[in-house]
Amino acid sequence: MSAPRDRLPLPALIGVVIGAAIMVAPLLWTLILSLKDNAALMRDSATAFAPPWTLANYAAILRGSSTFHWLVNSMIVSLGTTAGVLILCSLAGYGFARLEFPFRRALFVFVLLGLAIPEQAVILPRHQLFAQLHLHNSYPGLILPGLVSSFGVFFMTQYFRAIPRELDEAAMLDGASRFTLFWKVLLPLTLPAQATLGVFTFLGSWNDYWWPLISATRSERFTLTVGLASSQMNYAQTSGLGFLMAQAIFASIPIFIVYILFQKQIIRAIAGAAVR
Amino acid sequence: MRRARVMALVLAAAAMLGSCHAGDRRTAISVQRFFGECDAAYGRNTDPATAEGECGIMTTLLNRFQAENPDIRLDLNIVAWPGYAQLTAQIAAGDPPDLVTMHQSMISDYQGRGLLEPVDALLDEAGLPPGTFTAAGRRGVTKAGHFYAMPWDTIGGLFHVNTKLMAQAGLMKSGRPVFPTNPDELLALARQFKARTGKPYFVQSEVNDPASDVHNLYSYLLAQDAIIFPDARHVRLRTPEAKRIVELFRRIEVEGLSTHHQDYPAALASFMHGEGGIFPVGTWVLGSFEQEAKTPGRPLYNAYAVYPFPHLWGRDASFVDGHSWVMPKRKRTPEQKAAVAHFFKFMAAHNFDWSRTGHIPAVEAVVESPKFQSLPHRKDIAPLALTGEQLPDYVQRQSAIQGLIGEELASAIAGTKSVDQALADAERRVDELLGQVL
Amino acid sequence: MNRTTRRYEGFLFVGPFLFLYLFLLVYPLILGIGVSFHRADPFGGRLWVGLDNYARLLADPVFWQAVVNTFKLTLLIVPPLTILALALALALNRATRSAAIFRGIFFSSSVLSVTIVTLIWRFILTPDGGLIANILHATGRDPIPFLSDPHLTIPALAIATIWWCLGLPMMLFLAGLQQIPPDVYEAAALDGAGRWTTLWRITLPSIRRTLILVVMMQTAAQLQIFGQAQLLTAGGPSGASRPIVLLIYEIAFGRWELGYGAAAAELLFMLVLAVTLVQYWAVTRREADA
Repeated sequence: MSAPRDRLPLPALIGVVIGAAIMVAPLLWTLILSLKDNAALMRDSATAFAPPWTLANYAAILRGSSTFHWLVNSMIVSLGTTAGVLILCSLAGYGFARLEFPFRRALFVFVLLGLAIPEQAVILPRHQLFAQLHLHNSYPGLILPGLVSSFGVFFMTQYFRAIPRELDEAAMLDGASRFTLFWKVLLPLTLPAQATLGVFTFLGSWNDYWWPLISATRSERFTLTVGLASSQMNYAQTSGLGFLMAQAIFASIPIFIVYILFQKQIIRAIAGAAVR
Repeated sequence: MRRARVMALVLAAAAMLGSCHAGDRRTAISVQRFFGECDAAYGRNTDPATAEGECGIMTTLLNRFQAENPDIRLDLNIVAWPGYAQLTAQIAAGDPPDLVTMHQSMISDYQGRGLLEPVDALLDEAGLPPGTFTAAGRRGVTKAGHFYAMPWDTIGGLFHVNTKLMAQAGLMKSGRPVFPTNPDELLALARQFKARTGKPYFVQSEVNDPASDVHNLYSYLLAQDAIIFPDARHVRLRTPEAKRIVELFRRIEVEGLSTHHQDYPAALASFMHGEGGIFPVGTWVLGSFEQEAKTPGRPLYNAYAVYPFPHLWGRDASFVDGHSWVMPKRKRTPEQKAAVAHFFKFMAAHNFDWSRTGHIPAVEAVVESPKFQSLPHRKDIAPLALTGEQLPDYVQRQSAIQGLIGEELASAIAGTKSVDQALADAERRVDELLGQVL
Repeated sequence: MNRTTRRYEGFLFVGPFLFLYLFLLVYPLILGIGVSFHRADPFGGRLWVGLDNYARLLADPVFWQAVVNTFKLTLLIVPPLTILALALALALNRATRSAAIFRGIFFSSSVLSVTIVTLIWRFILTPDGGLIANILHATGRDPIPFLSDPHLTIPALAIATIWWCLGLPMMLFLAGLQQIPPDVYEAAALDGAGRWTTLWRITLPSIRRTLILVVMMQTAAQLQIFGQAQLLTAGGPSGASRPIVLLIYEIAFGRWELGYGAAAAELLFMLVLAVTLVQYWAVTRREADA
C-alpha cells in the first residue's frame, strides 16, 4: 500500500475530527430524540439533551408497529434483487467475456447503452406495463426492475475477461462442458467481484424510493423507504417526534449490521475493482 | 454454494412470513384512509369515547368494527394525506382498495372517468336512505343523480381563538372575541394585538400547506359572489375581488401580524403553546384543541374558543368540503359488497363519535341531536353548516388546482411575486391544466 | 459438442439478462417516447398531440424553474462533494487503526436510505425545534428557516445530500490512491519534493481516471435528485427547490398529465446525456492535448 509515511499534519487532523463530528452529530441527535417521551418533545425538543430518557418508543415499535413489516419487505426485495443480479450478470458476463456468438460485440455495446438511460425515462411507462401485467404490490414487481443492471454485466464481464484463459483450456482438456467450466471453475474465482456487486446491488435496492413509492402502494407491501416517507408525511398526526426518530434508528440498524459485517469485503472489493 | 443455499432458505422463510394470510376464510375488504398513523397509542383501542383527534377516533372506530364483525377482515392501508397520488397509481395498476376516504371535491375527477361505483344500492341495504344525510353531505356526493360515496362529514374553515391572549390585547367583549367586519378593522385589531401582547395575531401554517390559503381565498370569493370557475375549463382569478383578498393576506405577512416559516405540525404546536391569537384552520382540530383547553397547566387551559370566519366582505359564506367513503370500481364478490354495506351502517351509526373531532357530521339525526349540540363550541360553529358552499360539480382536478393556486398565493404572500403576477400565473396554469383534461 | 451448438451457446448465457433488459428497459423507453407525443392520463386515455407537449414544456416557466434548480443543486453538490471526498481520502489513506475507524464513520451515512436521511435532516434543519435551531437558541439567536426560505432551501438540500453521499466517492478515491506504487513517492521524496508538490504533480494526476469517474457519476446522479427534495422541502417554497424529477412526479401523479410528464422525462434524459457527453469530450480533448 502506498500510504504516505509521515503523520497527518495537525490542521488536517483537526479537519478530519471536526468532519467526523459533523458526520456523527445528526445520528446522535436522532438517537437522543428517539429516547425521549413524545409529549415532552412536543413542548420543547431541547428537552432531549437532558434526562429522563426512555425506551418507550422502541417498545411501541416492537409491540406492533408496521416498521417491522416494512423491514421484512425491504429485506426480501433487496436480497431477491441481489441474488437475481448476481446470477444474471455472472451468466451474461461469462457469455460476453468468453464465448463467441453472432453479434456479441454489438450486443455488449447495446447493453452498455443501458448505463446511460436514467430511471425517469422508463419509470412511467414501466408503471403502466406492470399495471397491465398485474405486477404491482407484489415482490416480483419490486424485484424485477432491479435486475436490469447494465453496470452488473459490465462489471462481471471485465472481471471474467481478467481471468487467464489457461484455466479454461485446462478444464476443457479434462472434458468439462462450458457450463461446468463456468459453474465449478470460473465462478468461484469471481467471489470478490460478486461480493462487491452484491453489496452495491443490495444497497441500491435498499435505497430505492421512487419505484416502490408508485408500485407498492398498499401498506402491507411498503418497503422501509416508502413506509418511513409515509410516516414523515403523516407526522402531524402520528404519535410524535420520539416515535418517528425511533423508527429511523430502528430502520438503520439492519443496514448498519450489514455494513459492519461486510465492511472488509466492501473495501477490499472496491480496491480490487478499481484496479480493473 | 453454501451461501446460496443459506440465502435461499432465508428468502423462503421470509416469503412464508409474508404470506401468513393464506388460509384466512373471512371476507376481506381493503380499506384505505388518511388521517394519520397512531397505532402506537390507539392500536388496540376499541372505545371511541376515549379516543381523541382524527387519527385516534378513526383508528378506534376501525378497530371496533373489526372487533364487532369477526367474519369480516379489514385490510387497512394508511396513506399520507391526501393520498391521491397513491390512489391514482393503484387504480392505474388495476388494484384499487374496496373503500377509500376521499374529499367530496375530488369525487368528480374519479367519477367522471368512470372509476367509481355508485353506492345507492348499498346505502339502501345498510338502511341509510338519502334523507339520512345532511343537505351538504348529499350535495357533496351526488353526481349525475346518483350517490357515489357515503358522506362522512362536512369540513370548513374556522377561527380558533386563544381567548386569554385576546383578553390581554383588550379584544374580548362579554366573553366573546371582537371580530373585524372589514379588512381595515382586521388590520387594526391585529396591530393592537401585537402591540399589547408582543405576539402575532395569527398563527399560520405557511410552509408546504397550499390548502389553507386556497380555502380562505375561495371562502372570501364566494362571500363576494365572485364566479371562480365560470365553466369546466377556466378559472377566473384576475379579478378585483381576488386581488383584494390576496393583498390583505400579503399585508398581514408584511406587517408581521402572523407567525412565519411554520409548517402544519409547527403551527399546531405553536397555537397550543399560546404563541399567537388566532389559528385560522379548520374543523378537524377542534377536538384536539378542546382537549388542551380542558387540561390544567396547558397554555390553552380555559382559553379556547372557536368561530366561523368573520365576514370581511360581501355576505356570510364559506368554502366547505367534506370527507366521504368511495368504492373504486373493481370486481367484488357479493360477500364483499355485503361487507361494505355493513361498514356503511356501522360508520353511520358512529358518526357522532367522529363528530367529536370537530368536523360537522353528515348524518342529519346527529347534527340535530342534543348530544352533538351540547358538545363544546358546536353552537358557535353551527352557522358553518348553513353558510358553507362547495365548488360547482363540473370543476375537476380540484386537488391539483389547489396545489397550483396555493403555490402562486404563497409567492404573492411571501412577496416573491407581485399579487397581480401571482394571480395571472395561477389563472394561466389552472386554465392550462383544465384545458388538458381529456 | 459440435460447432453450431458452440456458436449459439453464448446466447444461453446472455439470454436471460437480455430478455429482461429488452422487456423492462428498452421497451418502456420506447413506450415512454410514444406517450410523450400524446395527451395521456393514468387511466388509459390517449390523444395524439405530436410535439405539443414539448412545445408547452419549453414555454413553461415552471419547467425552466425546475431546470435552473436542478443545475443549482448539481453545482452546489458535485464540486464540494468531490473535493471533500478527495481530501478525506488523502487524509485517511493510512494503515492505522484510527484511520480505519474514521473511514468507517465517513462511509456510514451512505448505507442509509433517502427517507431515513431526510427524516434525520428534517429535525436538524427545521426552525421549529431542530438541532441547529436549538443551538442557535442557546446562543441567543433566532432560528434559521432552512426549509422554507427560498434562498436557503437549495443549500439545505445540498448539505443533506453531501452528508449522505460522501462515502462512495471517498472509497473510490482511496482505491485509486492505493494503486499508486510506493516507489513513485520514494522517488519524489528523494528529489526533495515537498508535500504540496507531491500532491499536485504526482498524486492527483495518478488518480485522474477515478476523479473523472467520480465527477461524471455524481453529476449524472444529482441531476436526477428526487427524494430529498420531495420529503425535506416538497420542492418549496413555491417550487424554489423543485428539481426536474420532482416536477415529473407531480405532473404525472398529481396532475394526471402523463404525456406531459413523459415529455419532461425525455427532456431530462437528453439533458443528462448531453452533460455526460460534454464532460467526456472535455476530458478526452484534454487527454489529446496533453
